[in-house]
Amino acid sequence: MTSDSAVADYLRVLAASLPGPPRARSDILAELHTGLLDAIDAHRSAGLTADAATEAAIAEFGDPRQVGDALRPHLAMTQARRVALALVATGPPIGLLWTAAALASHIAIGYGPPWQWPGAPPLSPAFFPVVGAALMITVWSALATVAATGRLARWLPASPRLAVATAATAGLGAAAADLTIFALLASKLTSAPGTLDPLPIVIAAAASLIRLVLARRAAGKCLAIRATLA
Amino acid sequence: MRAETLKGHLDGLLLASLEAGPRHGYAIMEALRAGSGGQFDLPTGTIYPALRRLEQAGLIKGTWSQAGGRQRRVYDLTPAGRRTLAAERGTWREFSAAVTALLAPAPRPVTP
Repeated sequence: MTSDSAVADYLRVLAASLPGPPRARSDILAELHTGLLDAIDAHRSAGLTADAATEAAIAEFGDPRQVGDALRPHLAMTQARRVALALVATGPPIGLLWTAAALASHIAIGYGPPWQWPGAPPLSPAFFPVVGAALMITVWSALATVAATGRLARWLPASPRLAVATAATAGLGAAAADLTIFALLASKLTSAPGTLDPLPIVIAAAASLIRLVLARRAAGKCLAIRATLA
Repeated sequence: MRAETLKGHLDGLLLASLEAGPRHGYAIMEALRAGSGGQFDLPTGTIYPALRRLEQAGLIKGTWSQAGGRQRRVYDLTPAGRRTLAAERGTWREFSAAVTALLAPAPRPVTP
């Protein structure tokens, strides 16, 4: 086996054991690749042949599966943080889009409970509390994840298993909120379709649909990573 | 020295290895090995996860840069990392002084 193929094999085995965002994985693999080449150089400087230096460098780095095990918590935290930040960033704009759609459709948003707003969908008394609860779960889970996976982690230590669990909860909460909003939209469409302003409704619905799909997928990835953590 | 023996001290040692200036992963490993007279010979692969963990905690900052003809991820201490290193040093001094006092051979009692 040549030096290059031995290094490539090591990195292939390591890559197979790494979950998480592709960019974070490739960043770590690139760093370890450079580290392996540095180690080979050091052993060659000590007088070893290319093959012997590669063998010594690989032995020095240790079993790639064990290195992968040690990197998995970091990648889990990275995945959790990415999901939580995306939800925190997309939540307010999607909320504004639905608010604009409601106002354009003559739903008079006021201070009282949503089901008392003039023009509110018929299913509002049952479904608005669900939307509210799902959004509360999403916001608090996402903020807790952001806090536990960033610099606040020094004061708020959370295990990677917990971080990906809270991120998955935030993702599922957002998906549940979007689904419930679609149910409210469906009830309005069946009861008073003529009052809806199509363009803002289509824009808000498209944004919610994209978030629903992505949030559900992100939650699945978080739970899959959680299953690989000891 | 086995990795288990160093457990709990690795973070402080990694921060200390960056005190003099920025280093890439393999240079940090070599600094630990050389600085300990060869006593700390950890599997190099375990250094990288620890560095990523310290970076996530904001104690060090890693940036890619061209060095020695290769793209390397070079780490440097952050102000929070310097403060943590100073605190780790203080804790270690107290701990090692206490252990040294306890492990020192006790004088034999004088028998009449």
